Amino acid sequence: MSANDILDVLNIQRDESKQPAKKKQKTAVEIQRQSGMARELYNLIGPNTPPVNLPFVGANSSKASMKMKVSPWTKRAFKPNKLNKDSDEVTLHHWVKGSKELLEQEEADKPYFFEKFNVKIDFPELVNEETYDKYMVEIKEREKRLREEKKRREKEKKEQEAIEKSKREQEAKEKEKKEKEAKEAKESKEKESVSASGESQEIEESAIKLESETSNKESESKESKTDDNISKDKEGDSSKESNQVATEAKEREANEEEPEEEPEDWTYEETQYLFELTRDFELKWPLIYDRYNYPTKRDVEDLKEQFYRICIKTLEDQPNSNPSLIESLSAYSKPRELERKQYLENLLKRTPAEIAEEESLVIEARRFELAAKKMLIERSHLLTLLDSPQTTQSVQQYQSSQGLTNLYNNLMIIDKNQKKRQLQQQQKAIASGNQDPVPPPIPIAASSSFKKDRSFQTHLQQYLAGLLKQSQNVNPAIKQESNAIQQLLAKRLTQKEEEAYGLHFHGSEKLNPGVILRSTQKLPGLQQKQSVLKSVNSVLQELDIPTAGGTSWKPVMPTRKTMTKYDELIRSVVALLDLKKGKDKLEAEIRLIKSQRGLQ
Amino acid sequence: MSSTANSASVYGGDEINAIVLDPGSYHTRIGYAGDDFPKVITSSYYASASNEPMEAEKEDSKIGSKSTKRIFGDAIDVPRSNYNVHPILKDSVIVDWDAALDQYHHFFKNVMNVTYEEQPVLITEPVWAEPKYRQTLVENFFEYYDFPALYLAKAPSCVSFQQGRPNCLVVDIGHDSVSVTPVIDGICMMKNTMRTHYAGQFLVDQVQDHLAKYKDLSVEGTYKIKSKTPTVYPENAEFTTRTLPEDITASYDEYQKSKIWHEFRETMLEVPERKLANNNMQQSATMKEFYTSDANTRLFEFPTGQSLSLNYDRFVFADSIFDPSIYKFANQELTSKYPPNNGVLSIKSKYDDYRPLKRVRKAESNQSTPPPGDSPTKPSKNGKHEVRGLSQLITHTLSTIDIDLRTSVAHNIIVTGGVSLVPQLTERLYNELTNTNPGLKIRLHAVGNSTERLNQAWIGGSVLASLGTFHQMWVSKHEYEEAGAERILNQRFR
Repeated sequence: MSANDILDVLNIQRDESKQPAKKKQKTAVEIQRQSGMARELYNLIGPNTPPVNLPFVGANSSKASMKMKVSPWTKRAFKPNKLNKDSDEVTLHHWVKGSKELLEQEEADKPYFFEKFNVKIDFPELVNEETYDKYMVEIKEREKRLREEKKRREKEKKEQEAIEKSKREQEAKEKEKKEKEAKEAKESKEKESVSASGESQEIEESAIKLESETSNKESESKESKTDDNISKDKEGDSSKESNQVATEAKEREANEEEPEEEPEDWTYEETQYLFELTRDFELKWPLIYDRYNYPTKRDVEDLKEQFYRICIKTLEDQPNSNPSLIESLSAYSKPRELERKQYLENLLKRTPAEIAEEESLVIEARRFELAAKKMLIERSHLLTLLDSPQTTQSVQQYQSSQGLTNLYNNLMIIDKNQKKRQLQQQQKAIASGNQDPVPPPIPIAASSSFKKDRSFQTHLQQYLAGLLKQSQNVNPAIKQESNAIQQLLAKRLTQKEEEAYGLHFHGSEKLNPGVILRSTQKLPGLQQKQSVLKSVNSVLQELDIPTAGGTSWKPVMPTRKTMTKYDELIRSVVALLDLKKGKDKLEAEIRLIKSQRGLQ
Repeated sequence: MSSTANSASVYGGDEINAIVLDPGSYHTRIGYAGDDFPKVITSSYYASASNEPMEAEKEDSKIGSKSTKRIFGDAIDVPRSNYNVHPILKDSVIVDWDAALDQYHHFFKNVMNVTYEEQPVLITEPVWAEPKYRQTLVENFFEYYDFPALYLAKAPSCVSFQQGRPNCLVVDIGHDSVSVTPVIDGICMMKNTMRTHYAGQFLVDQVQDHLAKYKDLSVEGTYKIKSKTPTVYPENAEFTTRTLPEDITASYDEYQKSKIWHEFRETMLEVPERKLANNNMQQSATMKEFYTSDANTRLFEFPTGQSLSLNYDRFVFADSIFDPSIYKFANQELTSKYPPNNGVLSIKSKYDDYRPLKRVRKAESNQSTPPPGDSPTKPSKNGKHEVRGLSQLITHTLSTIDIDLRTSVAHNIIVTGGVSLVPQLTERLYNELTNTNPGLKIRLHAVGNSTERLNQAWIGGSVLASLGTFHQMWVSKHEYEEAGAERILNQRFR
């Protein structure tokens, strides 16, 4: 029910001009409606369009597809060799998409799709017989020339060698002669009966003999050389150990090949045959060789050589040829090719043992490389360590290897143990100041020569002296009592006296407060790393030096003297060990560098 | 055209419904190019009535003439009186032309419904096919069937196509012959090809020769047996025979028996890990002990119901293919059947008449390293023939190949053919080859699927004949006549 219907019922006329347009719209809508659901159902919805555009795929679309035409495929005959005119065409059949009419229109003159892949190699045609003969003559001449040149060069070389050889032999001969003469002279002197003429004859004979020998040798050497030259190409490499065997083999081979030196000539027919095969097999040489059934005996290399040289000639005669192509073609050398193949052959002939050996060598070499790299890294670390302290002292002390090792050791220790730094520096000062470890400054302080000057008096002496003065002033009674000691102390004692009294002045030594037994005292030299102490221990044991046991190395009777001696001993042992360590390291380094440089 | 272009861009293929025919010594395969499997795999034998005069047969043997009663396929197995069974091929070469053409016609027409005029045919041939044989083959096919075009493909080339390896060494261990062929760029190297007869039939003969000493073993064709009771060898066989038509020919019986032996070979044989014949007595003793163990014992039941259990012998049989010279036949007839063979083929060419000796020498001069005592001329010089087992044959072939190609070829050795399915064969082959060629990296490729390995040459032919680029290679009868047999055979069917 539309508005128009109502208007019709009520007989109300509307403006005519507007109606057709409306009707058209309506029909358009109706057509649209048909594509949807059933009409009755659609009417129920009313003028409102459904909120969701439902796809009505089901029946309708299948109907549509059923109505669609099947895409046509046509079985068509085709000729795979359309482009190649001379080949007789074969007609084959395949299925092609598209209707018959369409294809007929389209396919009027179209070549077969795969025909474009049928490509031929382009190389020069064989020239006619006359030109071929000309070429061959030229080639032969050139080759002859080359060969002669080569021969000449070889000959020169050979002659030179021969001259040298003969010279050498001449010298040797002369020497021999002289010796002989001398000997004979002696003999003649001894035996006067031998006539002079006979003697000269003898000498002459020997000279002739020697001469003939040398000439023989020369000719021999010549022969062997020619053999060598012929077979050089074939026998490209021969390992050193089998040299003798190889030369023998060479000779044999050379003898066999001598007739082949002048290979059978290439006739025009044979070359034609070769070119035909080359074209058929598209320059695949192994296959060309495989199918080469001409009565003459040829190798792959022969075939290649002939083909290339003819090609070069043909190309050279062409006006617009590519010079680089000719160059690359003339690079082919038959002897070199044979040599290369021989190399490969030998490579493949290795036994499993040889292969394994080679592999192990490679692995070892790699290991060496790694070790060297590691060493270099370590060395560079070391160098940076050495670089770090900017010396305020003179560099002189570090120029000896010992000083360097000491410094290194010290630096290592400093680096590792900051606490001990102070002490180590002190030790270094001692070590570097004097080559021999100097005993602690006790004797210096105690030496009588210094005591004369007051400024050289120790603190204790000064203290005691002051005390004495005080007590003298304050308490005369005490003064009397202590007088003996005071007097003794005040008195400048000689070293012998001090020793006798057991008196000892601690100079710059650090002292702990309180009373200490010397037997519990630690030796200052013992302030080392545990590992060093262990090695010190072993050294002491080796030297059979008695200790009180343990790692404290106290003397059995720890008197002051023995204690200082022990301390001295231990310090020197430590220094010795350091030295040894440094020496070992340097030696190892030297060895490595030597092996790297290839020195043994 | 557009669709062909599209499909070509992906597969390079263009189906023209070509027929692929792969005649083998034991089985012949026929099918459509582009398929992954032949439609027909049939025995290369036929049966024909023996009382018919052969001359008459020949006259009638045009296509479609029903007067020749040749029976092909599985129908051979039906026992008929006076029907002889004959082989069609020998060494993969057709010997009985009439029967061959008849057989192919039978399968082309009756089984595959070939339209001769529209479908070209690709035929595989062995490398040793002689020019005369090839000529006959081509001429016969053009004469008898109306194929628009045909192509002769060498079987090893097809195998290389099947594997998609342009440079390879195809080792085909078939029924009649073992052949080793180097393939370069998809083309066979004729001069380097080797072939011996130490193949499937040789193994079967070994088995038969050896089992002849089991006197009470009753081997009868399946067709004779009506019912049976299982027994194990020393016991006698218990079976009842079926009533058969009279005058069953000896050749039929032989054919049926050979099937049993064939099955025996397929199921029982296994290649030992190492050479059994060893100089080291102790080692060979331990090996014998190992292979005699229960784990290596197998039971084979003959159609008569009698079973035979074998252990060490199973390995001995299979070992014979590697060392044919050691395993001598007791039967004199069999010995003469297998003369010593070093595998060198003499392929004839038109130039042979001039200096055949020279040419043989030339082939040798190419092999730059004749392994000591291994050169083919040596035995002939000494008047003594050398025998080459499987791995020796391959090693020798490798040594004759151009040094530049040797490594790539050694890395792509394809092992194919039915006998290569004998368990452990490829493993043994690999071990022996790596030991004898330490400088080369040996890699063997053998298809895992057994049916594919049996039909590898056919599948390769199917690949080849469905390629779009191949269709320019077909040779029509017209072209063949125009260009001449020799040129076509040498330049087109290479």
